[in-house]
Amino acid sequence: MLLIPNYPYYVVFFYACLGVFFMCLQGRENHDIFYSLLLPIEKKDIVKARISAVVLVELAQMIFAIPFMLIRGLFPIPGNQVGMDANWSLLGLSFIMLGLFNLIYFTYYYKHPQKVGTAFAWGSLGITLFMIVAESTAHAVPFVVNVLDGPNAEHTAVKLITLVVGLFVFSAMTYLAYKKSARSFETLDL
Amino acid sequence: MEPENALEIFHLSKRYPLFSLDDVSFSLERGTIMGFIGRNGAGKSTTLKALFNIVHPDSGDVSFFGLPYVGNERAIKNQTAFSAGAFEYYQNKTLKSITEVTRRFYEKWDDAVYAAYLKKFGLDENKTPAELSEGMKVKYSLCLALSHNAELLILDEPTSGLDPVSREEVLEIFLSLVEQGKTILFSTHIISDLEKCADSITYIQRGRILASCPVAEFQNRYKIAHFAHQADIDECSLNIKGIRRAKEGFTALIEKQSGADKQPVDESAATLEQIMVHLEAEKEAETHV
Repeated sequence: MLLIPNYPYYVVFFYACLGVFFMCLQGRENHDIFYSLLLPIEKKDIVKARISAVVLVELAQMIFAIPFMLIRGLFPIPGNQVGMDANWSLLGLSFIMLGLFNLIYFTYYYKHPQKVGTAFAWGSLGITLFMIVAESTAHAVPFVVNVLDGPNAEHTAVKLITLVVGLFVFSAMTYLAYKKSARSFETLDL
Repeated sequence: MEPENALEIFHLSKRYPLFSLDDVSFSLERGTIMGFIGRNGAGKSTTLKALFNIVHPDSGDVSFFGLPYVGNERAIKNQTAFSAGAFEYYQNKTLKSITEVTRRFYEKWDDAVYAAYLKKFGLDENKTPAELSEGMKVKYSLCLALSHNAELLILDEPTSGLDPVSREEVLEIFLSLVEQGKTILFSTHIISDLEKCADSITYIQRGRILASCPVAEFQNRYKIAHFAHQADIDECSLNIKGIRRAKEGFTALIEKQSGADKQPVDESAATLEQIMVHLEAEKEAETHV
């Protein structure tokens, strides 16, 4: 989707979140949590395993997106007219968006594992607001317009720093999601 | 020295809006079979789930083989098997692939034992749980529970949904496991299961433990008194419990130590089932007063 000439590219990463929803939905239909509870593992391991699997999916999508982001930059056409261009900072900011989703979604989900849809609705609402704000800044905030937006060749260092900061924020938010989820899941009755 | 008890429960409590487990305590001696009985909704499954923190107790302690559950979850679960009735997970995967995933989690999984139980129960590994009858799902659940050399088996209604022959088979498996030194705690409301194999029973009524003792001791506590008319009951000075209508007249429980010899009452030995139904009738009566 990063090859579409003009598109709100953050939406691309929303699909990973949709995948998380289906994963948990299928888990619910198969009574996966109860099955896992019978295995010789600790209760918090169930949370750890699920969040680790989700992080792997999110990282895989991000890595898979890199070549397409680079290819989009090679097109002899103007950058994305909708909002952020496909560049390193987009990936960094998308990492923050995924971290936000993980935090909202899992905190709710591990309090109410049966309410997968509600957890997803809250998570989606959170990242929709993030997308609106992020895309708006790509038109309104000079630093974003001039430095973060635009082709990779310009302000490359700042764009790469944004990616690293994004990855760091993603890790911190996901770790916090794990801590909060494990704590509430421990005292949950199933 | 190995601890004498495979399982000890101290003052377990859990409060729900309409039901509570109230100060549940009992212990299970190694190498014995305990039946856990009580009517539907008495708190059997909640208690068993609370042992493994599947239901989070408000207070109380649980220890397995002398080790507290909290902090030793993995080690304890490896030595224990917990089965909650029929296999209701991954309905569209084959038994083969479910087992393939499950076995990896256990340190002492034994393929030979697993294969033997599959054969004994007549389970086809290429079927999915969705294709199995309720009874076969119970058997698959048992099959998984029995295949990792657990020292202690905690089984929630392992015989419900089984035909009489299969039930007998399962109970015989229990007896042979106990001969090998294993310990079993199983809940049931089929009283004949207890008569067949249990050494002791724990009786739970509305979230409280009414008795936890050897089967014979429990049975010897009571006798059944028979009354032809309501007037006979009124005249009786004994402490009688749980009056129920019988085909002719009434029956009630009397405690043996209550001086039953002093007054001539038509009495007979009580079966476990009779004790249970009368104790429940007594509770009903108490609540309706």
